[in-house]
Amino acid sequence: MLKKIANKCIRAFMADRQLRIGVIGIVCLLLIIIFAPTIATHDPYSFDFKRLLAPGVGGHILGTNHLGQDVFSMLVYGVGTSLKVAVISAFISGALGVIIGGVSGYIGGVTDTIISEIINIFLMIPTFFLILLIISLFGNSIVNVMIVIGVTTWPGNAKLMRAQALSLRERTFVQSAVALGETKPQILFKYILPNGIFPVVANTTRGMAGAILTEAALSFLGLGDPNIISWGQMIYQGKQYTTSAWWISAFSGIAVIITVIFFYMLGDGLNHVFNPKYNYGRSK
Amino acid sequence: MARFILRRFLSGVLTVLMVFVINFIIIKAAPGDPIRTIMGKETDDPVLREALMEKWGLNKSIPEQFWSQFSNALKGDLGTSIIYNRSVNDMINERLAATVLLGIVSSLLALVTGTALGIFCARHEGSFIDGLLSTISYALDAMPSFWLGLMLIILLSSKLGLLPTQGMVDARADYQGIKHVLDVALHLVLPTLTLVLITMPGYFRIAKSSIQQVTSEDFITTLRATGMSRKKIFDKYIFKNAILPTVTMFGITLAFLVTGVTLIEIVFSWPGTGRLTMTAINQRDYPVLMGIYLVMSVSVAVVMVLVDIAYAFLDPRIRYDK
Repeated sequence: MLKKIANKCIRAFMADRQLRIGVIGIVCLLLIIIFAPTIATHDPYSFDFKRLLAPGVGGHILGTNHLGQDVFSMLVYGVGTSLKVAVISAFISGALGVIIGGVSGYIGGVTDTIISEIINIFLMIPTFFLILLIISLFGNSIVNVMIVIGVTTWPGNAKLMRAQALSLRERTFVQSAVALGETKPQILFKYILPNGIFPVVANTTRGMAGAILTEAALSFLGLGDPNIISWGQMIYQGKQYTTSAWWISAFSGIAVIITVIFFYMLGDGLNHVFNPKYNYGRSK
Repeated sequence: MARFILRRFLSGVLTVLMVFVINFIIIKAAPGDPIRTIMGKETDDPVLREALMEKWGLNKSIPEQFWSQFSNALKGDLGTSIIYNRSVNDMINERLAATVLLGIVSSLLALVTGTALGIFCARHEGSFIDGLLSTISYALDAMPSFWLGLMLIILLSSKLGLLPTQGMVDARADYQGIKHVLDVALHLVLPTLTLVLITMPGYFRIAKSSIQQVTSEDFITTLRATGMSRKKIFDKYIFKNAILPTVTMFGITLAFLVTGVTLIEIVFSWPGTGRLTMTAINQRDYPVLMGIYLVMSVSVAVVMVLVDIAYAFLDPRIRYDK
């Protein structure tokens, strides 16, 4: 089973350009995190009198900000923040979605009706405002940001998982497990969740991109964690200097876009892999 | 049909109720003592505390507190700002028009341009323009809206000096009549452009893929075989069938637009509810934040229910099924 999946992944990796770009891009970002101290030309936490230097001046590749911090080095250290927010919040959202959606779809009946109504309701609530409200009330530490993003974005995943569970529970192998007398939790965790999780995984990668954008937006509203370096906060800081030092906002925004695109590509690629109907001959 | 509308209406009501419950729980669970904030650090007079608890209704039981807030909001009373001691209703009301103006203009423009470009690309699949527009829409999708706004300010205003970047009117000139309208329109260009660029990719994708899907269906092949002209097939059959998902997209985009408008208003100092949100965050003015959140959620819920009902009217499959 595992070998089959591995083979399929390798084949898909070779065949699907989006998946390839996504995987390679994210591996590169991980390498940047590991080698950040080597890659960064300056200490991003050190302040200097060389404030608002233009890109290229005084050995600062992308210039300096209003406190004299090196923009390039800040970008390098910011990768860690973005990826951490992306992975942890998407994991929370994915786990909640899988369990709630799985239970709802597998058990069915009144439970399912109630849970799916709750899912629909949550899908109608403007999530960003909810996040904003919670963060401004409970404090803007990065841990809070990650948890809140995770806890507010699960309904999409739950909806996907529910649909999977609904169709899986009618399948022969699940029915035979029922006949063998396996308990409901056993069936749920052994058969339903592992077999239905793939679309959620693909959706979760998209969720990671969303989490990065949400963190950036919160930082832009002044609700970022002041103790860490994040791209969103760099855009926020650069806002005051759009006329005198455009590079502070510009480059940090580009970093966000590139990272988000990598996650989108990974998500789309995974969707192609998990979708048996997808025809590789047609993908460009 | 009536059952469908009733169902959607009920889920809209449930949504609003849920927003309320969440709102209430968040406020109750939040750290910090509101009475302490009002009294200040130095005073700790139990009599004053008692009086304040009484005034704000905090000495009642939790269900009673919930009910009194809920019934007040149902009557349209969103409470009082802690900072300005003004009614939250008034504060939101005087800002709402600017937000609605920006929101409606940009959502309609995004709908029209996104759909038109999507249709164009679907009919010219594989062409250079299709490739270019698809790439651009992918990149736009990954862009933080506020960043795009800042970049447009840098490019079009700071460097080229073309358009005004701040506010809704030129504060130095006191325009009247038609000149005032033109002034607002000019200030509207950049924020609208940003919002259109950010929300367009959704419409673009959905229009393109649904046109492609309908085109590949058997009944279109049959129509082609009858010798009907391509234009007639497109106008009469493909377009009508493929435009429906766009209606749903409008509802989804709207929730997204609410966020976008808030951020964009801050970038361009647009005097709407987004700016109010920002000041409320900075001053920790929770009743105002709550009020804005309620108004936003309720309007999104209302529009989404309306969109679903419109969809049911447009799509006979739903109309006759239920």
